[in-house]
Amino acid sequence: AVLLLGLCDAGKTLLFARLLSGRYRDTQTSITDSSAVYRLSQDKSTNVTLIDLPGHESLRLQFLERFKAAARAIVFVVDSVAFQREVKDVAEFLYQVLVDSTVLRNAPALLIACNKQDVTMAKSAKLIQQQLEKELNTLRVTRSAAPTSLDGSATGGPAQLGKKGKDFDFSQLPMKVEFVECSARGSKGEEGEADLEGLEKWLAKVA
Amino acid sequence: AVLTAPLPQERGGNNSFTHEALTLKYKLDNQFELVFVVGFQKILTLTYVDKLIDDVHKEFRDKYRNEFQQKGALGLLNGTFDFKDDFMRLLRDAEESSKVRAPTVMKTFEQSLKSQKTVKCMIETRGEKPKEKVKNKKNKGSKKDGAEAVAAPSKASAGDKQLSAAGDKEELTKDEILQKNREEFFRRHMKAGECVASPKPDTQKEKGKKPRVWDLGNSNAKVLDYSNTATNGSAEACPVEEFDPDMALGDKNREPGRLYDLEYESDDEAEEEKVVQNPSKPSVKKGGLGGMFGMLKGLVGSKNLTREDMDPVLEKMKDHLIAKNVAAEIAVQLCESVAKKLEGKVMGTFTTVTSTVKQALQEALVQILQPQRRVDVLRDVMDAQRHRRPYVVTFCGVNGVGKSTNLAKISFWLIENGFSVLIAACDTFRAGAVEQLRTHTRRLNALHPPESHGGRTMVQLYEKGYGKDAAGIAMEAISYARNQGFDVVLVDTAGRMQDNAPLMTALAKLIAVNAPDLVLFVGEALVGNEAVDQLVKFNKALADHSMAQTPRLIDGIVLTKFDTIDDKVGAAISMTYITSKPIVFVGTGQTYCDLRSLNAKAVVAALMKA
Repeated sequence: AVLLLGLCDAGKTLLFARLLSGRYRDTQTSITDSSAVYRLSQDKSTNVTLIDLPGHESLRLQFLERFKAAARAIVFVVDSVAFQREVKDVAEFLYQVLVDSTVLRNAPALLIACNKQDVTMAKSAKLIQQQLEKELNTLRVTRSAAPTSLDGSATGGPAQLGKKGKDFDFSQLPMKVEFVECSARGSKGEEGEADLEGLEKWLAKVA
Repeated sequence: AVLTAPLPQERGGNNSFTHEALTLKYKLDNQFELVFVVGFQKILTLTYVDKLIDDVHKEFRDKYRNEFQQKGALGLLNGTFDFKDDFMRLLRDAEESSKVRAPTVMKTFEQSLKSQKTVKCMIETRGEKPKEKVKNKKNKGSKKDGAEAVAAPSKASAGDKQLSAAGDKEELTKDEILQKNREEFFRRHMKAGECVASPKPDTQKEKGKKPRVWDLGNSNAKVLDYSNTATNGSAEACPVEEFDPDMALGDKNREPGRLYDLEYESDDEAEEEKVVQNPSKPSVKKGGLGGMFGMLKGLVGSKNLTREDMDPVLEKMKDHLIAKNVAAEIAVQLCESVAKKLEGKVMGTFTTVTSTVKQALQEALVQILQPQRRVDVLRDVMDAQRHRRPYVVTFCGVNGVGKSTNLAKISFWLIENGFSVLIAACDTFRAGAVEQLRTHTRRLNALHPPESHGGRTMVQLYEKGYGKDAAGIAMEAISYARNQGFDVVLVDTAGRMQDNAPLMTALAKLIAVNAPDLVLFVGEALVGNEAVDQLVKFNKALADHSMAQTPRLIDGIVLTKFDTIDDKVGAAISMTYITSKPIVFVGTGQTYCDLRSLNAKAVVAALMKA
């Protein structure tokens, strides 16, 4: 199964709708997961189950717990327009996903989809990658230095992201990480097609 | 995204929610996982909203039942939900019914009241002042006209939960049509407006007696508590100034005993049926025996969860939570919210009611304890370091909770991570407060001598003795820290009771003037129901005395003396529920190393353990 993760308002549910039906839908904040089978556009015979999880802070970890074991690949959707403001929150969530022991064990392929590229102020994938690497670098230090949890287990998990001593890089992770730009809304507004080529190609690779 | 507030935060006990100028009422359909939301202007109190929601729910569900059952998510995505016409029809019906009943109702009730007045009723009514909670449709009608001064029309919107599909697309067009309807309606009632307005005060008095008649019909002693039963129409309240629907429902939930809940439901139905003749006796006996069979049935097979099935389990859970030191009102609200979420849900085979409810409650508790915002003090300190300004943390709380002790622990932790700390002794009241902090400073410096940190003194105390103004000292301390290049400033304040108005004002002033980066409320884990009161009053004081548009409220909670409670960890739940702010630190002892962070799963496990 492929999980769609991300902060609130990143565009996960719209992406989900676009991939499955091709049409634009007005969406609300999800409060529960939705899953459906997706037929690849190039190769109609292969299917893959897409699961769209809510991004709300109180719900996201709960749903992640439920579905992380089944994940063969993870699409982490990032709002490219609000990225500058939210970089810390994005990094924190990404960090929590990456240090999870189940995720580390299974090492599902990770795609970071920089959504909302149709807006002019959107940041490019390269910039987002650099910023995330810097943030995750800092987070490694602060999270492991946080006071230990009540029952003794460390908050950041015993896992150490990447190599010690060197600055954090996405290539240091045990899983394959890719960055892609996409736009669920599409540059022609609601009626037009969404720019999801990169995403669809990656899905085809993974399936 | 207004649904993100009540539902994920487990405040779903009431079914109405206020957001800015709108009141939203929502209904959950747990079988098909739908949420129906109706929004309308807060000032208008429309009585037919409840019925409208129910009707919409039923129609929508029946019409699209097949799609839900067969196709799941894809069905929702691809299906076109051409519900607009049905919705408009239902809305018009509801408006009609509320309009029509307006004049006729008064006369019939007159008759019925007079005929049904017994001696008992007469005696009681004399002492009672007319209750505001009234299920008066006509009052609403007149109120609506009164409020038409507000130009913007109310909008009603129905939306799906998951992929709101066409439902939302129609929203826009529905709004316009709704607007037109509203205007017509108002115009039509313009003339009738004045005459309807004047009998309002009288009818209020009359309506106040109405619930009483029904109560006597039941002759249940419990029910004679008028403040509760009068909230029959749930949030269909009345004069906006006087009534808080949430509070009234909260009261209602506090009544113990399953029978009372049933009564509430049946009253509601009787009202829904729009009995224009004598208010009939609501039938109460509905679920008495059914509950027992329900439990047996619940063991095997897939069935729908009904309120009666869940009530005994919920009662037990509520008592269990209260025994674990969760504040009583919070336990009640939590159980209500869980009940609302589970009502109508289809259980799988071999799952008992108890296990389902327990599971749901556990999830709800974990959800509450999840922080709504990032909890990473070190990260924020690094940020402030980059901007060359000190990171200011203020500790507040009542007397004797452990502010100074935990302040010392936190400064130890910060020093371990290489940040220099300035402690501002703004407790100028308690004898020995400054000396206490000086001793801590000395010990911390002994533990981390300047030599091992590049010649920098890691901890310093900024104090100005006793009896001075705390806010002034704080301000001086912060500028001193900026000049000397300290990374963090920890401001210790005097403990104060939440009822002590002058002291609360002083605290609010300190926080408003100095604008700290983090305001931590220190609360002990031993506190029970008091936690709710403390936090509410502290937040209120901070909000009231701040001049800014968005006042600084409590940003986080430090839970202290955690080692003194075994597994009665309910205070954590109470505090996070009330403020929605995360628990940043947990204090587990009196040495410098006894500082922990909260592990939601462990706390919930301890809570749910028998």
